[in-house]
Amino acid sequence: MAPDDADRTHPSDGTDETLSRTPNPDSAPHSASVDTWSSKRDKDGPRRPPRGVNAPALGLRGTLLFLWRQLTSMQTALILLMLLAIAAVPGSLYPQRSVNPALTDQFLEENGRWGKLLDTLGFFEVFSSPWFSAIYLLLFISLIGCIIPRVGVHLRQVRAKPPRTPSRLTRFTGYTRVELPGADADALLETARRSLRRSRYRTDVREETGSRSVSAERGLLRESGNLLFHIALVGVLICVAGGQLTSYRGQITVIEGQGFTNSLTQYDSFESGAWFDTSELSPFQFTLDEFRAEYVLEGADESRVGQPLSFEADIDVTTPGEKQEQRTLQVNKPLHVDGTSMYLLGNGYAPDVTVTDPEGNVVAQGPVITVPMGDVGYTSQLVIKAPDARPDQLAVVGFFLPTGVIDEEGPHSIYPDLADPQLALTVHKGDLGLDSGIPQNAYEVDVSTLTPVTGDDGTPVLISLAPGQIFELPDGTTISFDGVKRYAAFDVAHDPFERWVLVSALTAVGGLILSLFVPRRRLWVRVGDRSGPDGTVVLEVAGLSRSDDPALPDDVRALATKLSEAQDGTGGPAGPSPADPVQIDDTTDDHHEGSAQ
Amino acid sequence: MIDQQLAEISNLAIVVTIVLYVLALIGFSADLASTSQKRSDERLAAREAHEAARAKQSVTAGAAGATGTAGPAGTDSPAAAAGAAPAGAGEDAGATGARSSAASSSSMTAQTFAFILAVAATVLHIFGVATRAAATQRVPWTNMYEFATTSTAVVMVAFLIFSIKRAELRILGTFVIGPVLLVLLLAQTLWIVPAAELTPSLQNSHWLYIHISVAIMSTALSILGAVVASLQLLQARHERALVERVSDDDQFPEHWGRFGHVLDRLPSSTVLEALSFRIHSVAFVGWTFTLIFGAIWGRDAWGRYWGWDPKEVWTFIIWVVYAAYLHARATGGFRGSRAAGLALVGFLAVVFNYTIVNTIINGLHSYSGL
Ligand code: HEM
Repeated sequence: MAPDDADRTHPSDGTDETLSRTPNPDSAPHSASVDTWSSKRDKDGPRRPPRGVNAPALGLRGTLLFLWRQLTSMQTALILLMLLAIAAVPGSLYPQRSVNPALTDQFLEENGRWGKLLDTLGFFEVFSSPWFSAIYLLLFISLIGCIIPRVGVHLRQVRAKPPRTPSRLTRFTGYTRVELPGADADALLETARRSLRRSRYRTDVREETGSRSVSAERGLLRESGNLLFHIALVGVLICVAGGQLTSYRGQITVIEGQGFTNSLTQYDSFESGAWFDTSELSPFQFTLDEFRAEYVLEGADESRVGQPLSFEADIDVTTPGEKQEQRTLQVNKPLHVDGTSMYLLGNGYAPDVTVTDPEGNVVAQGPVITVPMGDVGYTSQLVIKAPDARPDQLAVVGFFLPTGVIDEEGPHSIYPDLADPQLALTVHKGDLGLDSGIPQNAYEVDVSTLTPVTGDDGTPVLISLAPGQIFELPDGTTISFDGVKRYAAFDVAHDPFERWVLVSALTAVGGLILSLFVPRRRLWVRVGDRSGPDGTVVLEVAGLSRSDDPALPDDVRALATKLSEAQDGTGGPAGPSPADPVQIDDTTDDHHEGSAQ
Repeated sequence: MIDQQLAEISNLAIVVTIVLYVLALIGFSADLASTSQKRSDERLAAREAHEAARAKQSVTAGAAGATGTAGPAGTDSPAAAAGAAPAGAGEDAGATGARSSAASSSSMTAQTFAFILAVAATVLHIFGVATRAAATQRVPWTNMYEFATTSTAVVMVAFLIFSIKRAELRILGTFVIGPVLLVLLLAQTLWIVPAAELTPSLQNSHWLYIHISVAIMSTALSILGAVVASLQLLQARHERALVERVSDDDQFPEHWGRFGHVLDRLPSSTVLEALSFRIHSVAFVGWTFTLIFGAIWGRDAWGRYWGWDPKEVWTFIIWVVYAAYLHARATGGFRGSRAAGLALVGFLAVVFNYTIVNTIINGLHSYSGL
């Protein structure tokens, strides 16, 4: 992980180690590196003055280069990441127009000037605001500027031999020195090399003055994984952007017995990306046969009565080329028709109502979609506009109540299912304003410009109806409640880039796992030439970890033991006893264990 | 159908679990307190011995002599390490060893007692979670209460697994059971809801199992990680203060009184840093999967893989902050304490996502059941 772990083992860093029990990670010194592990290091040193700071006379090119270096530095990446996190916060605290437009408008209304100010600053569209975009674009530019050179360095490193064995191994992790009288230096070296290769190290044997050594390295996959992770993140961004440009999404509402054909005119609302082409609408159609809802029944725990248990929509789909098919859609069980998906997202009641005007003409007939108000009982708002009514245009407004009660609270429903369906309505006359050219919401009407139909006592007539009943107003208008149907609301969506977002994201995790959990380390085995009268061969083994790698000291020692034992088997009688062949330099060893993690 | 009787048993089990955790917490804290008391006695003894030695003018014996007379337990005092300066930081490893051996010999009873209680409590805790699942015939993580009881059970299991093998980690018991207890108490008082059937939005999806179990694991690791990172920060300050005092020629420095002694018993900040990183890196992978699986589920349920719903926003924030932590660990000048600070910021985001976002901010993830 930390590129400078190596540095902490550098002999010149002794200062704090002599004082504290352990080197404090805070005070880990950052001396110049002993070797070059990767390109990261030069992005890594705030304690080194950034190049260019002391050289104002660099000119335009130099300044640009300086800015680029700053942008692609690790600190900048870190700061941009934190900024990204902070900038996302208001996106969860304020209602977002793209997520919940109604709530946004309400907030704006309630907060006057303050709301307007927030709106100008983009707080209701945080995730498409200039500042949020600027942060993530800078982050990704920084990311790309960071990846490209690292890929080059990494490729070179993969091709290069493991670097030279350091001349003094004593300060490295797990340093172990064994004297093997009468050992065969060549065989020892060869065994070391082979056993390291078998453990998937890349090895290189070097001749040195008075000794030879194997330099071995493992875990380049760590850096490969890290690069893969960052590249895949760019992939995620590109695919998300691609999806934004080419996807579409629309909402539809279908009453039982009615149908839907996938074309633009059929949608209640529809959004699509800039590159979307209507020919991409998959030509399927369906009829909603039945919508079923189940709720917790009376008799259960009181707080749970009326909680929904299941929603199911039986549909009869005709897909292009294929034949007709019966399907049941549920929440979490969408319909997929060649790349387009349809989701069951809402439902409600559509009471069947007939309205005749005082002249006896039928001016409205059939099921009317009502809008649930969000209470447990599914009290639903109903609006019928009858512009053809004579002598005046009519508007019928009120509530549909699946299980109706009319008490001092006014009309409301106490249970979501159809236990005692009722309509509670008032009728209004006047100009509905439908010809004004301003588009109107079909589910809303402004009654303030209309006059309510009143009874003999001068108050508006409150109509209450059960299925099968008819009500006649004093002026001759009649309203009949013919029955209740249900409707289902669906979202239809298509995003051709979706799967590539997933592929990139999974690639990123794959890279991440390699990058976090593959230990990257070096191991060295040095075999000294015969010295002393009995031809003692000195074997030295040590390692260096570039990552969180607590197993390294043990592995180093195990290798030393294995080598000396192997030698012992083949070597002369003067070999060290197998029981305790290794002399471990504990001091150095444990110190490295502490600091190399 | 919901088996209300079984649900009652589950509730009872969780309540008894809480009581057992309180007892275990008392045990662990008593253990910490008693050994830190012992520690300051030893320190005093060492100081006296040292002064006596100086009085005898045995110059060469110096600090090393004092350490010798104080016995092995005295070795872990930082001053002793400083006195033995020529041995360098190698002393540190020896000190760690001495520390744990001192711990096991002097505090066997209180700690073992607390540990056994913790094991019993965890078993009962798991029983409570399992009976809840049996009562509702589904996974026990479909509302805040269940999420809290289940994820704290995971924290405890993770802690016990860590510390069964490595007994020296048991001294962290106070710091693990404390937060677990806090969450359980909150769950039992504020978030408790009767056992109920699944709402339709949670039905029909195996992502309920996958996504949320990964989220529970990640949350549990975030809690553990935050505990370790906090201790690391305290330990780093403590160590710095001690080092300053040592260089001010105080041979037996004291810092933060008894709490300082508690810290003396804990692993060094370097060791805690490494442990924190291990935990956080697994947690980060966990959060990445939580995010991806959540996106897949969101696409199944709502027809889009990402919609900036408050819960999604906060999971994104958690992910970005932990990514920043991992970066900070590799960035000069941010390593160590500052990176640990970021890890704690990430944990705050986890807490916020769980509490405020679930209960106050309204989104599609109507999850709390409140
Ligand atoms: C889109 C934003 C980014 C995210 C989410 C991100 C995430 C991560 C994560 C999670 C790691 C940890 C994996 C590991 O330790 O191997 C990491 C490592 C790393 N990142 Fe990024 N990163 C981003 C942008 C950048 C940028 C802009 C740079 C270049 C300045 C960069 C350079 C690095 C480097 C050098 C490492 C390896 C650190 C080490 O030695 O362990 N990253 N990144």
